[in-house]
Amino acid sequence: MSWIREETPPDENTWSERFRKFCANVLKTGPIPKHVAFIMDGNRRFARKKGMDRAEGHLMGFEKLAETLKWCRDLGINEVTVYAFSIENFKRSKEEVESLMEIARQKFARLLQEKEAIMKHGVCIRVLGNLTLLPLDIQRSIAEAMVMSKDNDKAFLNVCFAYTSRHEISNAVEEMAEGVEKGLIRPSDVSESLLDHCLYTSHSPDPHLLVRTSGEVRLSDFLLWQSSFSVLSFMEVLWPEFSFWHLCAAVLHYQRNHQAIMRARDQHNQEQEQALRQADYDSVVAELQQEDPDKTDQSKWAGVPILVQKQETERDRRVQEFLQHLDRKRANFLDNLVQKNEIKVCS
Amino acid sequence: MILHQVLLYLVHTFLAIRTWLASLYHGLKKPLAFKHRKRNVHRIKSDSKELSKLPIHVGLVVVEDDFRYGELASLVVWCAAMGISYISLYDSQGILKRNNTSLWQEIMKQQQELLGEDSNKYSIELVKGNRTATQLTGQKYSVEVRLLSSEDGRTDLLHAAQRWCQDVEAKRKKVGDLEPTGLEGLLQATKGAPDVDLVLKFGTVDSLLGFLPWQIRLTEILSLPTHHSIDYQTFLLALQSFGNIEQRFGK
Repeated sequence: MSWIREETPPDENTWSERFRKFCANVLKTGPIPKHVAFIMDGNRRFARKKGMDRAEGHLMGFEKLAETLKWCRDLGINEVTVYAFSIENFKRSKEEVESLMEIARQKFARLLQEKEAIMKHGVCIRVLGNLTLLPLDIQRSIAEAMVMSKDNDKAFLNVCFAYTSRHEISNAVEEMAEGVEKGLIRPSDVSESLLDHCLYTSHSPDPHLLVRTSGEVRLSDFLLWQSSFSVLSFMEVLWPEFSFWHLCAAVLHYQRNHQAIMRARDQHNQEQEQALRQADYDSVVAELQQEDPDKTDQSKWAGVPILVQKQETERDRRVQEFLQHLDRKRANFLDNLVQKNEIKVCS
Repeated sequence: MILHQVLLYLVHTFLAIRTWLASLYHGLKKPLAFKHRKRNVHRIKSDSKELSKLPIHVGLVVVEDDFRYGELASLVVWCAAMGISYISLYDSQGILKRNNTSLWQEIMKQQQELLGEDSNKYSIELVKGNRTATQLTGQKYSVEVRLLSSEDGRTDLLHAAQRWCQDVEAKRKKVGDLEPTGLEGLLQATKGAPDVDLVLKFGTVDSLLGFLPWQIRLTEILSLPTHHSIDYQTFLLALQSFGNIEQRFGK
């Protein structure tokens, strides 16, 4: 029932475990997606198929998540993002939402009990979404888990909970708007890179591979921005039936698409940089044009490249300060939740 | 280890051969379907009526490097004949946009050929960005076709974000005013069009390569190996698959 599955000691390995390790080593000679996102779909259909009730299906789904995390470690995938609960799921029956919240309550509490394993494996846990929509006690467990593991850097687990991509993007835009209101940044500072750093996923690279189980072929409001250049792998298997071999198939699929994706991504990044440089150049020229429309002062015009450089440096400085402010704000939110928890525990 | 590398190479070679054989088989089946190549509009309309669900906005996402305007034009005209009102053609580099005249000529030609006498019942228009509503006279089926590239995806979203920030700076709006659907109103690329319900992706790259990130929230993504020599039967099968998909919307 635990989040972190330990390695079995080598001499206790079964043949199937040894074969799995062998296959993992074969795959690792090719490109491995460092960050994989999972839409863990199919728990309810699995429950129906096996004649279980839904809660059991979701519990099996959690077991599968823990197993998958270990397989990812074996394959050298060091960052995993999962879609655990959508804001849209609040539309389900009160009974089901409460049972899901209860599972979450138990699982996040369990996470805190596994502190030793988490620190030993260096796992950084992040829960992404509109946490204020959740019951307060769950918010507190989540905050504790995040604060406790925030400096870990060997493996990263991002759990999207009370999340939708559109909400995430709108939230990022509001953060930027607040930055503008406070005079920390200007509207012209808005760029892809800035938006990336304002999303909940700000500390993660874009996922290289996105896997959705149960045969559905849509993104359902998950990582819409971040998955623009991800390899999409839609599989028929229901999530609780996902196996190591399915994961290998997804990685093989990634390897086959790797070069095309890298090319497209690099091209896109180059175009973005060029566009930004052009915008900087244009704005410097526009300003000079206003000051000196007849180009009488040649020395000023000759200094355009330097002015462009200066503009870039100033923008970078503004953006850095703003992002530090945003990081502090988010850290404070979590720290406050943890402190309230500690006060509650002490009293 | 060398052994591991060789094994991986063999696995990938096997997978590549399997894909090649599948496309060969697919290619051989074509001549048999040849006699069905010329569809008439009435047959298409009746096929359309038999679908359990018809998409309102279809994205034709081309992730291949070689563009065949004739085939793309056929796809557009088949969609129009089916009663699909919004069609977005996408390639991440904007090659379709740059060659819009050639593409447009093909579409006009196919419209005449395929739709025949019904051709002037359809108003197939190329829409750029912000569309101003035009008054249509008579019984016309209005079809909006958009040619999009990656600047209509992430970049359009960024411009929307910038506009919002400018509004806040100018005190026209307050922080906290942004409604969930607020950003949508500021997007230009698909203004006036609903979200994309269905993407038909042509090519072997399994990624949307930057296609309209905001608008694909609930889009069904169906992949087809290529648009080269695409036949109506394949197109119809894809729409039938779409018709059979059940969405739960989070419930």
